[in-house]
Amino acid sequence: MPLSSPPSSRLLKLGVLASAVLMLATLGLFALSLNGRDHGDDDVRLVVTAQGCEPQELSVPAGETRFNIVNDSQRAIEWEILDGVMVLEERENITPGLHQPLTATLAPGDYAMTCGLLSNPHGTLHVTANGDAPAVALSRQAFIAPLAEYKVYLVLQSRHLVDAAETLHQAIAAGELDAARIAYREARLIDQRLAMAIGLYSDLDERLNARADYFAKREQDPQFVGFHRLAHGLFETGSTDGLTPIATQLLEDTRTLGERLRHQAIPPDQLANGSARVLMAWYAHARDDKTLNAHELLDLQGLAAGAEKIVTLLTPLLERQAPNTLEALQAKLARLQQRLAETASSVPGTQASRDIDRDALLTETQVLADILASLDHTLALHG
Amino acid sequence: MSRRSLLFAASAFGLMTLQTPAQADVAPDALVEPVAEYKLYVLDNLDQFVSHTEKFTQAVEHGHLQRAQALYAPTRVYYERIEPIAELFADLDASIDAREDDYENGVEDPDFTGFHRLEYGLFKERTTQGFTSYAKRLMTDVNDLESRVQGLTFPPAKVVGGAAALMEEVAATKVSGEEDRYSHTDLWDFQGNVDGSQKIFELFKPLVAEEDPAFVQRVEKNFAAVEATLAHYRREADNPEAGFVSYEKVSQADRRAFVGPVTVLAEDLSTLRGKLGL
Repeated sequence: MPLSSPPSSRLLKLGVLASAVLMLATLGLFALSLNGRDHGDDDVRLVVTAQGCEPQELSVPAGETRFNIVNDSQRAIEWEILDGVMVLEERENITPGLHQPLTATLAPGDYAMTCGLLSNPHGTLHVTANGDAPAVALSRQAFIAPLAEYKVYLVLQSRHLVDAAETLHQAIAAGELDAARIAYREARLIDQRLAMAIGLYSDLDERLNARADYFAKREQDPQFVGFHRLAHGLFETGSTDGLTPIATQLLEDTRTLGERLRHQAIPPDQLANGSARVLMAWYAHARDDKTLNAHELLDLQGLAAGAEKIVTLLTPLLERQAPNTLEALQAKLARLQQRLAETASSVPGTQASRDIDRDALLTETQVLADILASLDHTLALHG
Repeated sequence: MSRRSLLFAASAFGLMTLQTPAQADVAPDALVEPVAEYKLYVLDNLDQFVSHTEKFTQAVEHGHLQRAQALYAPTRVYYERIEPIAELFADLDASIDAREDDYENGVEDPDFTGFHRLEYGLFKERTTQGFTSYAKRLMTDVNDLESRVQGLTFPPAKVVGGAAALMEEVAATKVSGEEDRYSHTDLWDFQGNVDGSQKIFELFKPLVAEEDPAFVQRVEKNFAAVEATLAHYRREADNPEAGFVSYEKVSQADRRAFVGPVTVLAEDLSTLRGKLGL
């Protein structure tokens, strides 16, 4: 065959055919890859019909699971994984006849699934513990949510503190001793809930919370201001005389506190450690007194409430890292708060009461502080 | 290489591999403040939602049809703004905001309650007669929602993801006018969803602005486009409180004009989680 001859029409046809086959093969591969992506071997397939989920009950191992939700009903649906009434994951607006993937990372436990219409029965999703999976170390990310929630708590509590300080200031300026005493207790309780955060600012901490013992001339020292100075006037001297400038300063300081807390970054290792520190400061002071008076009990009540917020925030982290420590922590906190509640109802006015089990309160406070102080180690936050 | 620098290199490598995945140039600690600010925003809106719901449900209970009709949309706005958080509570989301299509028997379904049940009464049947129990139930549910949200530690991924979720919802089920099919107050809901999405974007914007200025510009441009279309249908140009005209008066062209920027916003905003390493 001469080299110069044009390709035969037969060859041309073959070429066209070959490229068509190639194109089809490519399309096929493309379709296969789509298919493969949508129905991966590990995907858990779930069909939502007009009546509910099929299957109605699913079991998957803990960790990451990819669900493939098929809408086999006549309406657009949303599919959700529920923990109680809380939505953990959801895929909205799945068109009839189509399917959508949803990847969820689930901890062991039983969950519910919504299955199309709200009137359809919920399905059940069992997530089984995965014995081989290593415990996941906590990342810094795990602290975003608790730190943000703590910040919200601080901002809201500091707003309450400003309101309470205003009421206190008004009562003192008007010379109403009884109203001022009530307002004092209200404000002081909030101040003590915030004790750990206030401790971040030495100037405010001194002006709001320093005791007379820390000043050269004690109660007579002009630098002695804040809550303890007001308490001395209202409860020891029994008069509002001369307290107005102190109350004005206190109100101003609570406002400054609120502004600072709004933009303050609280380091994660301060959550538990800081709570332990303020409890130990109370303990150290109370240990040296022969009796506990109503002020000290009120302070401890505020400190315990502040610690309770921290424990609530750290609970999801401790549940995974150290369930036994968490159990001990919650038990000790509950014990202390219960004793405080019993004591509060039995202490009249400012008089020390012989009924108070002082030693028990001291011991329980110390034990709680010790567990809190150990948490940073547990949560791998030391250093 | 000295022993010390070897050690240094090894520990630097170790640190690198310990870094969280994705484009996590954003330090996790930097997310704390915007998440906290978002919760404060949600709480403020919930506060408003509760007081508006009080007035709305009172109007229904007292049989003031016109007043109840007028308060329907301005009350819902607060729910629409905070929907990414509100809808985390599946039971309340259903009893407060479900549509008749969510139930097998539609409006006849005994479990169908909330805003859209009242909407049907106020705007379709044009009566408050027989709706007292729905009004009371709505108030109870809204109070319940407030106390649950107060106690909720906000999941950061849901907060950031909420920006896109709100726009997806507008594109998927709002532009059609199906949300408020009897009252035709859909534009109020749009505005609420846009407000809520924009708030989240504004809070996290400083964390991505330097890294990806083009992204920020594009999102801002599309928000502006949506706002401009919405502004066109305000009852009073200078008074947002006056709200919007009926959705029936929105031209098909403008309905379509929403879809473009809203869809692009939903897509763009859906990358925010990854950009923030969540």
